[in-house]
Amino acid sequence: MLSGKGFDNVINVKGGIKAWDGHVAVGTEELGLELLTGKESLEETLVVAYSLEAGLRDFYLSMIEKVQQPDIQNLFQKLAEIETLHQNRIFDEYLQASGKKVSREDFENDLVVNAVEGGLTTDEYVQMFQPDWESSVDIISLAMSIEAQALDMYTRASERSADPRSKDALNKIAEEERGHLEQLGKLMNDRM
Amino acid sequence: MRWKQFFTPAKSIDAAEAKAFMAERSQDDFNLIDVRQLKEYEASHIPGSKLIPIADLDKRLDEIDPSKRP
Repeated sequence: MLSGKGFDNVINVKGGIKAWDGHVAVGTEELGLELLTGKESLEETLVVAYSLEAGLRDFYLSMIEKVQQPDIQNLFQKLAEIETLHQNRIFDEYLQASGKKVSREDFENDLVVNAVEGGLTTDEYVQMFQPDWESSVDIISLAMSIEAQALDMYTRASERSADPRSKDALNKIAEEERGHLEQLGKLMNDRM
Repeated sequence: MRWKQFFTPAKSIDAAEAKAFMAERSQDDFNLIDVRQLKEYEASHIPGSKLIPIADLDKRLDEIDPSKRP
């Protein structure tokens, strides 16, 4: 997040406080990553955003199966549903921005799939963080790192957009992602 | 879902490298930011680190001195 804000020498401490304290390092290694190069058109940004929302939704749904605490399961279910609403809004924005009359199905089959080829699967991504599934703090930390990256992307996409309507739409999504982060942060505090 | 396209890793160092990095420099030469939650910070944190929870980070950038360049 800092890298995109004029701080050109951002260094992440791998493993966070656990590694610092001499414990086994887990989680948040990729915190503070860049999501977009800044050269994408609005349409391309919206495709990436839609894909990211799909990834977040997929991530939250997969979390429901992995956690034991009902309240965290409910939280992830709610977050997944909110991502679906984000997808709906982004798709509408895409239709307006592109002027294309593409069906949702075609959009997902073509544009989004093409936009996310060649990367890690959600499971592989989770493997990269290796959270302790019995630790709600670890799981919430992982979710927060992903939400932070989403917030970062939407904030910068909003700042770049020349179209006021698109700027507002992206900014609104960013604020909703911030709400997710704050919600997850409160849950984290409750667990400490 | 595939993610890699979204993520370009930032530079990372491990805890030992971080300790060496800080030992070689004055605290005035770098910003040490802790982006976790308040209770995590209160439980344990690196001496000298400034707490800015991740959800607040982009709105509190004015609290970080960009002129510090280690």
